[in-house]
Amino acid sequence: MLQFLLPGLGVTVSVTLIALCLGGCIGALMAVFRVYGNPVIKGLAASYSVVVRAVPVVVIIFILFFVISAFIDLSPFMSGAIALGFASGAYQTEIFRGAILSIPRGQMTAARGIGMSRAKAIRCIILPQAFRVAIPSLINEVTLVLKDSSLVFVIGVPELMRRAQYASASTMEPLLAFGTAACFYIVLTLTLSKALEAVEKRFAIQF
Amino acid sequence: MKDETMTRPVLRIENLCKSFGTTPVVTDVSFDVHPSEVIVIIGSSGTGKSTLLQCLNLLHLPTSGKIFLEDQEITAPGVNQDRVRRQMGMVFQEFNLFNHLTVLGNVTVGMTRVLGMPVKDAEKKAMNELERVGMADHRHKYPAQLSGGQKQRVGIARALGMSPKVMLFDEPTSALDPELTGEVLAVMQKLAAEGMTMIIVSHEMGFAREAADRVIFMENGRIEEQGPPDRMFTRPESERTRKFLSIITTGKAEPPSGSLGQDTL
Amino acid sequence: MKEFFAYAVMALPDLLQGTVVTLQLTAGALVIGLAIGLPLSLLRVYGPKLIQPFCTAYLTVFRGTPLLVQLFVVYYGLPEIGLSFSRMAAAFITLGCNSGAYQCEYFRGAIQAVSRDQMKAARAIGMSRFQGIRHIILPQALRLVIPAWSNELIAMVKYTAIVFLIAVPDLMNKAKILSSQNFAPIQTYVLVALIYLVLVGFLSLVLHGIQRKLAVPGLDAGMDGR
Repeated sequence: MLQFLLPGLGVTVSVTLIALCLGGCIGALMAVFRVYGNPVIKGLAASYSVVVRAVPVVVIIFILFFVISAFIDLSPFMSGAIALGFASGAYQTEIFRGAILSIPRGQMTAARGIGMSRAKAIRCIILPQAFRVAIPSLINEVTLVLKDSSLVFVIGVPELMRRAQYASASTMEPLLAFGTAACFYIVLTLTLSKALEAVEKRFAIQF
Repeated sequence: MKDETMTRPVLRIENLCKSFGTTPVVTDVSFDVHPSEVIVIIGSSGTGKSTLLQCLNLLHLPTSGKIFLEDQEITAPGVNQDRVRRQMGMVFQEFNLFNHLTVLGNVTVGMTRVLGMPVKDAEKKAMNELERVGMADHRHKYPAQLSGGQKQRVGIARALGMSPKVMLFDEPTSALDPELTGEVLAVMQKLAAEGMTMIIVSHEMGFAREAADRVIFMENGRIEEQGPPDRMFTRPESERTRKFLSIITTGKAEPPSGSLGQDTL
Repeated sequence: MKEFFAYAVMALPDLLQGTVVTLQLTAGALVIGLAIGLPLSLLRVYGPKLIQPFCTAYLTVFRGTPLLVQLFVVYYGLPEIGLSFSRMAAAFITLGCNSGAYQCEYFRGAIQAVSRDQMKAARAIGMSRFQGIRHIILPQALRLVIPAWSNELIAMVKYTAIVFLIAVPDLMNKAKILSSQNFAPIQTYVLVALIYLVLVGFLSLVLHGIQRKLAVPGLDAGMDGR
């Protein structure tokens, strides 16, 4: 059973990591747009976040997979990771936005007061603080994306679930196959969230 | 002070002790409470007054000792504690009104849910109690819409609604802004005049002097001294009582003699 | 664009049929989840120590694994040990048990957000522990949980979108059939996305209205879910 599933583990983890990084970049950018942008940019960023969060992730995966493959020849792995990142980006937008809004206004005033430009103040003063505030929610998002990564199954990415399905078909033992996959996920989510919480404690600063 | 030999006590406390873990908080406290008597318990914070009060209606279970409510020993094994509590009203320092219920709902919920009164009767009685504390006009408001003094008056009405044999007040004015204590103390004074049996933990010395039949001074979980207020406040026998009263009345702290015990509640 | 509208008109009847199934699944899952989550949360907060490990195990399994794995274990795995379900039943059971785990945590949070002094005051007027929970703690907790519960409802609409993988005839299933029949995956899934958008938007509006209606002054503390 393990020889079927273990290769999928790596795929699941890499899809998750790519999606998280992409989602993080999109999320941070969109959050800044939502808070500091001009009305047009604000509106666009807001619609992205609202629309994507209202649609099931699996639908996003399908749409992006077909749209991407209509233009360029990309592996299902990359399309899946990008789609997952695009979806996670909407959720991370809200995480970062909440964090930015939680930073007291005085911080911006003080940064401008020592002569920083608005952009510089956002980059050097607001975002570093907002990032620390956002960490608990981001840790939660890591496990959510990890679980959502099972959805790229639908476009044929050979991650854990797809592997479990092969295993189930060739061994005729679906309970063992999917049960083992479930155990892998539990171990992954538990170790990831515990490890990240430990990291968070280490780097926590008092406000 | 009323004649103790003539009346049967409402409440009799015998050798009551309470400890949390290995920390003794109340040690060997005994006293009787007679019908219509108003007892004010004073003492520095952390001397077990609140714990003692919460032992009386079994919110804390005494470690040892006995409590009798009229003739029933309520500390005996097998006693239905809920039944005991409905016969004693309790007013909390932090009011503890039920946040999801209106003023009227706060007073009726015990009558309907605990005593099984029909809603109509409960509301009628509740309105009477709210009149008594001067809160009838606010019956449709929620706790969050009331001032502290108003909340506490509702708290009193809620306790009165259960027709208690004795009312317990746990520092009823300590959480209030100074300008709001008056309205609560006035209600309590009125109750005392109407003959309610009351045990009050309080720092309001003026109130104790005026309304109490007996003042109990507690220190380190023990009763240090008790007596009628005029004697307690003018000629205390115990050195510690004298010290405490001089701190309270002059507002000047003397260096504490011995340990003051620790704050447990 | 014109083409898209023509396609939409053609596809909508089928898709709406699937949408009805999606909504049934959502409602069923929420009810099952409530029936599991609320008692479980009471056990978590007030229950004996002995059963806590069992509660924790349930929560870890259902919150720590993807819904898809749960669905496949129930539908493909359990028949191996003699527990066979129809597609529909498997979908209801999986979604319901999953929602139960999340709802348990929302209820637990809400119950613990009600001050301990409320129970003390309830006991002081002679209520039993059970009466205190029922008449004082739960009514407040249920109000506090509304925002988180609304989120769970919305999330559940979206979570049902994977049951097409065991061929339950929901919105996604209809979309899959239509898209392969007409070789129009992008148009189909964009249409599906629009339907979900309308559903979620409409439900959010209704839930906000309900929240405003039920609000009690001083009891609307933000208890947001995820």
